[in-house]
Amino acid sequence: MRFILILCLLFGFYVRAQKATLSGYITDSKNGEALIGAKVVIPSINQGAVTNTYGFYSLTVPIGSYQIEIRTGIYPVEVKSIDLSNDVSLNIEVGSDVKELQEVVVNAKRGENVNSTKMGQIELEMEKIKTLPAFMGEVDVIKTIQLLPGVSSVSEGGQGFYVRGGGPDQNLVLIDEGVVYNAAHLFGFFSVFNADAVKSVNLIKGSMPANYGGRMSSVLEVNMNEGNNKQFKVKGGIGLISSRLTLEGPIVKDKGSFIISARRTYIDVIMKAAIPDSSPFAGSSYYFYDFNAKLNYKLGQKDRIFLSGYYGKDVFNFSDNEGGFGARMPWGNGIAALRWNHLFTNKLFMNVTGTISDYLFKFGSNQDQFRFELASGVRDVGGKVDFSYFPNSKHSMKWGANYIFHTFTPTSVSAQTDSVVFNTGAAQKLYSHESALYFLDEFDLNDKLKFNVGLRYSMFHHVGPFTRYYKGDGISTQDSIYQYNKGDLIKFYHGLEPRFSMRWLLPDKSSIKAGYSYNYQYVHLTSLSAVSLPTDIWYPTTDLAKPEKGWQASIGYFRNFFNDMFETSVEVYYKEMNNMIEYKEGAIPSDNVNDNTDNLLVYGKGWAYGIEFYIKKSLGKFTGWVGYTLAKTDRKFPDLNEGKLYPAKYDRRHDLSVALTYKLNDRWTFSSAFIYATGNTLTLPSSWYVQEQNLLFNYGARNSTRMAPYHRFDLSATLYDRPYKTKTDASGKEIQIKKKFRSNWSFSIYNVYNRANPFFLYVDNDGNFLNGDFKISVKQVSLFPIIPSATWNFEF
Amino acid sequence: MNKLMPFLQKYAILIPSLLLILAACTKEVKIDIPGFKENLVIDGSIEVGQPAIVLLSKSANIYAPTNLEAYINSFVDDATVIISNGTTIDTLTKLCTDNLPPGTEEIAAAFFGIPVEQLAEVHICAFVSTEMVGEVGKTYDLKVIRGEKTYTASTSILPPTALDSLYWKPQNGLTDLGFSWAKLNDPGANSDAYRWEVKYVSDAGFSKPFNPYFNDKFFNGLSFEFAYENPMSFNGEAPENEQGYFRRGDTIVVKLSKLGQREFNFFDKKYTQIYTAGNPFATPTNIPSNIQGGAFGIWVGYSYWMDTLICQ
Repeated sequence: MRFILILCLLFGFYVRAQKATLSGYITDSKNGEALIGAKVVIPSINQGAVTNTYGFYSLTVPIGSYQIEIRTGIYPVEVKSIDLSNDVSLNIEVGSDVKELQEVVVNAKRGENVNSTKMGQIELEMEKIKTLPAFMGEVDVIKTIQLLPGVSSVSEGGQGFYVRGGGPDQNLVLIDEGVVYNAAHLFGFFSVFNADAVKSVNLIKGSMPANYGGRMSSVLEVNMNEGNNKQFKVKGGIGLISSRLTLEGPIVKDKGSFIISARRTYIDVIMKAAIPDSSPFAGSSYYFYDFNAKLNYKLGQKDRIFLSGYYGKDVFNFSDNEGGFGARMPWGNGIAALRWNHLFTNKLFMNVTGTISDYLFKFGSNQDQFRFELASGVRDVGGKVDFSYFPNSKHSMKWGANYIFHTFTPTSVSAQTDSVVFNTGAAQKLYSHESALYFLDEFDLNDKLKFNVGLRYSMFHHVGPFTRYYKGDGISTQDSIYQYNKGDLIKFYHGLEPRFSMRWLLPDKSSIKAGYSYNYQYVHLTSLSAVSLPTDIWYPTTDLAKPEKGWQASIGYFRNFFNDMFETSVEVYYKEMNNMIEYKEGAIPSDNVNDNTDNLLVYGKGWAYGIEFYIKKSLGKFTGWVGYTLAKTDRKFPDLNEGKLYPAKYDRRHDLSVALTYKLNDRWTFSSAFIYATGNTLTLPSSWYVQEQNLLFNYGARNSTRMAPYHRFDLSATLYDRPYKTKTDASGKEIQIKKKFRSNWSFSIYNVYNRANPFFLYVDNDGNFLNGDFKISVKQVSLFPIIPSATWNFEF
Repeated sequence: MNKLMPFLQKYAILIPSLLLILAACTKEVKIDIPGFKENLVIDGSIEVGQPAIVLLSKSANIYAPTNLEAYINSFVDDATVIISNGTTIDTLTKLCTDNLPPGTEEIAAAFFGIPVEQLAEVHICAFVSTEMVGEVGKTYDLKVIRGEKTYTASTSILPPTALDSLYWKPQNGLTDLGFSWAKLNDPGANSDAYRWEVKYVSDAGFSKPFNPYFNDKFFNGLSFEFAYENPMSFNGEAPENEQGYFRRGDTIVVKLSKLGQREFNFFDKKYTQIYTAGNPFATPTNIPSNIQGGAFGIWVGYSYWMDTLICQ
């Protein structure tokens, strides 16, 4: 606290004598939602401020009378006159004078591409996301970010996404500041983010600011809607495989609001109808549901609280009635975040957050008298405090601290028959404290040069209770166990993470930006499979498993054309990653039993480098972007592939994405997306041999086989209803009345030209040597052919 | 015990089933798989009271022809095979299918997987010891010399573990069909590994169930009961609803062999590969050999316990 006061005095006292501060919140007059990234600009002195995640802005300028412009990107620019002879607190509601569906005149983020120090950072507008083609009609945030340069999907049927050669666990996915450990439903076909509940999406894929940490590659920050604090609203959608419903409204008008949003698939109903009762698989089903809720309340002019929650689950039931085998596999996240905003002064903003994040995967099955259960998960309880200080319009600072108490359950197995309980060991739980302090400073050195420098100090304590299994080879050395007691410090790691980015403004509406970031990552996702699955195990840093750490440097050229109609950029990056983890060759799920997962891991290095081209048109009827990445990412593990360098499984030389939207008129909008990506790598057997009459395979070099390229073209069209209906008033005059009930139809065609993209390859063998019909062949499995879909969305 | 591994395997295999239930199409593709290198494959064993038998073959490219001729040509006999038990050195004798001693045809047919009537038409040789048979407690060193390359391995024959009891019981809801059941008191001190084999009393050779190898990872020092299916019932002669079961009245011989941990690792990974090969949800598994010099395969010593069971 003393530190804050000193900072306030140092910076505040100096400027107070000559300048005045304009501060407040910018909200949407339609629903009271805070507007993120809106700009308050004073054109006469060419200064401005941008609202933060909570819609707060602070702008300190020389005393005087000004005309200010409020640029939101949603509504036309609003202009206000203001006398700044003293500090002024001004909350601004925008859009009150605007008719529905009016054309956006000026985008708030116009010029941002060139002017800001942000590199490798992309904010997506939900309205744009909603118009892009959606798989089975489900609008998907993660599928959309996979269309951006430097971001690639795992594959159809693989969850997560890869950013600049990093693994899916290297992405910090946040929903209202709560960590999402598994952002996928149905193995990645859908994300956990219900588009109706999402307000904004921000992806940072390079030069991570110091206020973020704990992951090496990227931050995906998803903010939920706060709820309409003006009136009750209902919206929803009915699609081919799922439906959703959202309710929102004021708790106390203009003071507080709530939003509740729920979604559920009915694949299980379809499967039930498709699988007859006589089938051995009768009873097999799959469904997922999720639930978002958020409350916010203004406690006063300076205080506001938010309570956000997410709960979602996938459930897969499998029945093999002939084999007497049944299995149930539920998995999902539960996340809650309580946040308190406090304004100390009109330049000092504080946010305090408490979060709980829980991810659990379970597998239970039975066959005859045998029962088997497996569980794996992670629970985080944490808190953070962030201060934002705005000394003047050319200088801002942030500092804060965060803390998470992790409880990992990598594997908990039980197995029994009627008479015997197998010794599968106690449920392994690992406890750790992860914490960090950070400071960052963003300032304009002059009109051309702008810097964002930061330093993060992160710490990780692996503590007891913990059972360490020392594995013998069963031949000359035997297994042994060491038991750590509760609170015992097993291992402490810490490190400094410098962050830096700069922008050099060139005279021709272009800029050069450069960035460097060093990151520690204390949690790891271990995967036995060639694709990312919910069965992948989250595992913390331990005395054996070291923290992943690495750095990334990037440099880019940014230029806008035609009065900011086109934004373009070229970025080059190089990334080095240490202490990456993989399973030992030949590891199998049962190896996790009566053992520590880290005994099964091997450690190595990774490199990634590439160049990204991005062209975006965000104004006009025809909008969209083209992104192309030329990249390479390699791994080297002393214990894998004979210690030789090998390509990462998601090493993609070429990755092209084109997303285009054409707004024909107020009723019709058309969109398309095209993706081309070099095929993923995988390890296939290069030879076969026979032992005891069994056909066995020997695998070649790791990831030495490359699948065929992935490409796909999707189309969509959205038909909006007419916003007004015509009525005749008492005088016989026709008047237009705004409809309360609004709806639209969204039509999509996924994989228009029915490309059979490889999901995975396998070596198959069939027949018998003696019969002369024996054959070994490589088979490619593809998942989705052309899939048309339609969704009806409504709102009232 | 044999049930737990299948559960773990199903755990890995189930995931794709959901995806494949949802939608999937499969087609054959020709894709470049680099990294092929021809390796010698050594398949050798020595069992208590039996001579050592070593079969040599070559690995083949994944796209190599897979007809009968290619299979037969994969076996090699241009090598010298020597075993030693520390006191005796025995250079193994070549025994070929087209020149078998009378009375060994049936055993050879089962060993090579070739019908008796075809044995004489092909030329496949095994190397057999003539100077020694397996003894409990002894260590056997193997040396294979082929061309300029030498391959070596070592294995020991451990004391056998007897089953506490062996019985048959009808499966729930059935009266005349059931699995073979056994009770095992596992010795607690060491890591123990086992192989389960069975045959009808009249059969020449033993058959292996789907996953015949197991170790005491989950039951070290414990006493427990477990069941095994009837592998002979899958030969196509039994009706579908009887497959996996022994019939009431069957007389069978059960053989529980003991092997070393390193040798078990080979078989454990081998069966893991058999059940997960091609499954993208499992890690590619190369099978760890105990042979030095770069050959694939195994050199293994077995002791065994055997008993007859009348299913009633």
